[in-house]
Amino acid sequence: MGLTIGIDVGGTKIAAGVVGTDGTIGARAHRDTPANSVDETARAICDAAAELIADHDVEAVGIGAAGFVSSDRSTVLFAPNLAWRDEPLGRRVADVLQVPVVVENDANAAAWGEFAFGAAKDVEHMICVTVGTGIGGGVVIDGELLRGAHGVAAELGHMRVVPGGHRCGCGARGCLEQYASGRALVREGRAQAESGSLAAAQMLSVCGITDPAELTGPMITMAAAAGDPCAVELLDDLGRWLGEGLASFATLFDPSTIVIGGGVSAAKELLLNSAKVAFEKNLPARANRPHPTFGLAELGNDAGIIGAADLARRPAPAQEKAAPQAAQAPEVTAPSDAPGAAAEQPQ
Amino acid sequence: MALTQALTIGIDIGGTKVAAGVVDPEGNILDRLRRDTPTKDPRETEDAIADIVRDLESRHDVIAVGIGAAGFVDGTRSSVLFAPHLAWRHEPLRDAVERRLGLPVVVENDANAAAWSEWRFGGGQGESHLVCVTLGTGIGGAILNDGALQRGKFGIAGEFGHMQVVPGGHRCECGNRGCWEQYASGNALTREARELALSGSPVAHNLLRAAAGDPRKINGPMVTELAKDGDPVAVELLEDVGRWLGIGLANLAAALDPGTFVIGGGVSDAGELLLAPAREAFKRTLTGRGFRPEARIVRAVLGPEAGMVGAADLAREEATWLRRVRVKTTAVTAKTAAARGGRSTRLDRAARKSASRRTGMRAAVDPELQPGQLQLNKTAELQGDPEA
Repeated sequence: MGLTIGIDVGGTKIAAGVVGTDGTIGARAHRDTPANSVDETARAICDAAAELIADHDVEAVGIGAAGFVSSDRSTVLFAPNLAWRDEPLGRRVADVLQVPVVVENDANAAAWGEFAFGAAKDVEHMICVTVGTGIGGGVVIDGELLRGAHGVAAELGHMRVVPGGHRCGCGARGCLEQYASGRALVREGRAQAESGSLAAAQMLSVCGITDPAELTGPMITMAAAAGDPCAVELLDDLGRWLGEGLASFATLFDPSTIVIGGGVSAAKELLLNSAKVAFEKNLPARANRPHPTFGLAELGNDAGIIGAADLARRPAPAQEKAAPQAAQAPEVTAPSDAPGAAAEQPQ
Repeated sequence: MALTQALTIGIDIGGTKVAAGVVDPEGNILDRLRRDTPTKDPRETEDAIADIVRDLESRHDVIAVGIGAAGFVDGTRSSVLFAPHLAWRHEPLRDAVERRLGLPVVVENDANAAAWSEWRFGGGQGESHLVCVTLGTGIGGAILNDGALQRGKFGIAGEFGHMQVVPGGHRCECGNRGCWEQYASGNALTREARELALSGSPVAHNLLRAAAGDPRKINGPMVTELAKDGDPVAVELLEDVGRWLGIGLANLAAALDPGTFVIGGGVSDAGELLLAPAREAFKRTLTGRGFRPEARIVRAVLGPEAGMVGAADLAREEATWLRRVRVKTTAVTAKTAAARGGRSTRLDRAARKSASRRTGMRAAVDPELQPGQLQLNKTAELQGDPEA
């Protein structure tokens, strides 16, 4: 009893699992993400969930989606890698499945998974950064997930760290995820290889490729683990940016624990050590304050599924509160009416 | 209940002045006092605070004292861990002052205190997700979610002024480089104005004249005054600060997603000269702009006394809560000690809420809650059960 389904909707894959109250995953289902069709994406999600519901008594479904999710935990306002614009995803899926459905930001779901059952299960204040292609963030304050006034808080990857820096898919420049994500790692690795650097040429040969364009993040991590100096340096740089960013976040949230997850965190100490050093060096007034602890995520790729499933069990604070306050939310821009603005987005 | 009508004293301790006031439950200041801050010795500062309180107490019947201090205040709201402009290092301020006065004392970060009063009586009323930014010499910050101050694990959350906005930028007294407060504070405004005047540029003529020809005498209010009179350079200087303000607010919106930003502190006296460029920069740098609701950016309404009023009001909350607990429990002394773990009513409620939310998931009592905290609440609810 008490089973819920957690679904992690990524840019290429949809992963679903039946999760118990102790955070363990039972049965699983997978689908490819039909990235350019809203209808097909919803259908694939329903499909994966229906497969699991057929064999399990499920109370609710939680969906972790990469994008801005409104505070009603049902609508995806905007997703960078999928075609959702003001998409009432939760309602659509609930109509098909006939069970309660909540939608959460994927990084929030992953953070909640680590908070409830993973690396931060013993604390009340934590920051979780998911370092994948981009950077997702999740913040738990006093045991509650930080959602903000409109549901789109904790977008830590889009904190500006370099004025006028690299252009970001979010429309701004110099966001942290342009410096400390998997995409940044690959960009820097390729740039170095294309510059004709001998060290980079050696790294390519360790990776078993000749064309810089074939270089991927996992290759760099693998080469670094094998001791390739160029790859080690690339991860070191990445960790430094990450640590500096985290020092800023720590001044905002004052967490007891910082958790680093996502695909790039597979580099473990190669990333974590330099991040830690940069963090300690950049924490404001560092000699006169308690420092948070630093750790790697424990749940791996399952964090999003487990977190979404667990959040599906919980009432949203926004839904507990009286409706009028949410209704008078200020200056809501209407994205769907702005095709020009949508065209600006480079995706 | 008479208690909720009672008066409290709020004290704002700045780098140069101690300002105190007697405040009623509606946030009105009934009486005021100011002293110079003795910066050298913590004892002298405590004595000064005690003197002021006794002075005010001789004319008013007060039930508690709230102190807003510029510095890191620990999670129990009793000690100042570190204050950049004062000599406090792990200073047990609350107990020291309580000993001298025999009144309940609450210590709060000054920006938190100011934010609290803006939420209770000022520009943030009715806002469920409020972020306050105080632009003074430096930048202070506070986060209020559903009327609860977010203090973080160690009591020092919301130090927005020290988020890095320029890698390798201006050196900051916190030990880093490129902190926001080096770009969007009163200090930044003064630095830029002086630099311009020192460069001998003819555009700074009015600035220099206002400072009687000495660039070192230029200060923030001077720039604001000139800008209000339409001096183009002064307008530009405020625009630059406003732009950095907006950029930083966009960062905070990415992290915190508030419904309203309230901008206070001395620099906010410039009003729209500061806020209009801030809004523009905010809109230009906000992540996902056009696809998300945006926060309002408004000016604080309570002025320089917000911190004092907020500290007084937080002291009232604490005192009212303590009294309630005392009425309902029998073993007063022991419990009071536990109560002085120092949480406001609201925070405590939040802690209880979060504890109850999480018990469904984790059967055991949360290890992070202080032992006295939950127990005390239970005791209060049990109406004086001595066994708790």
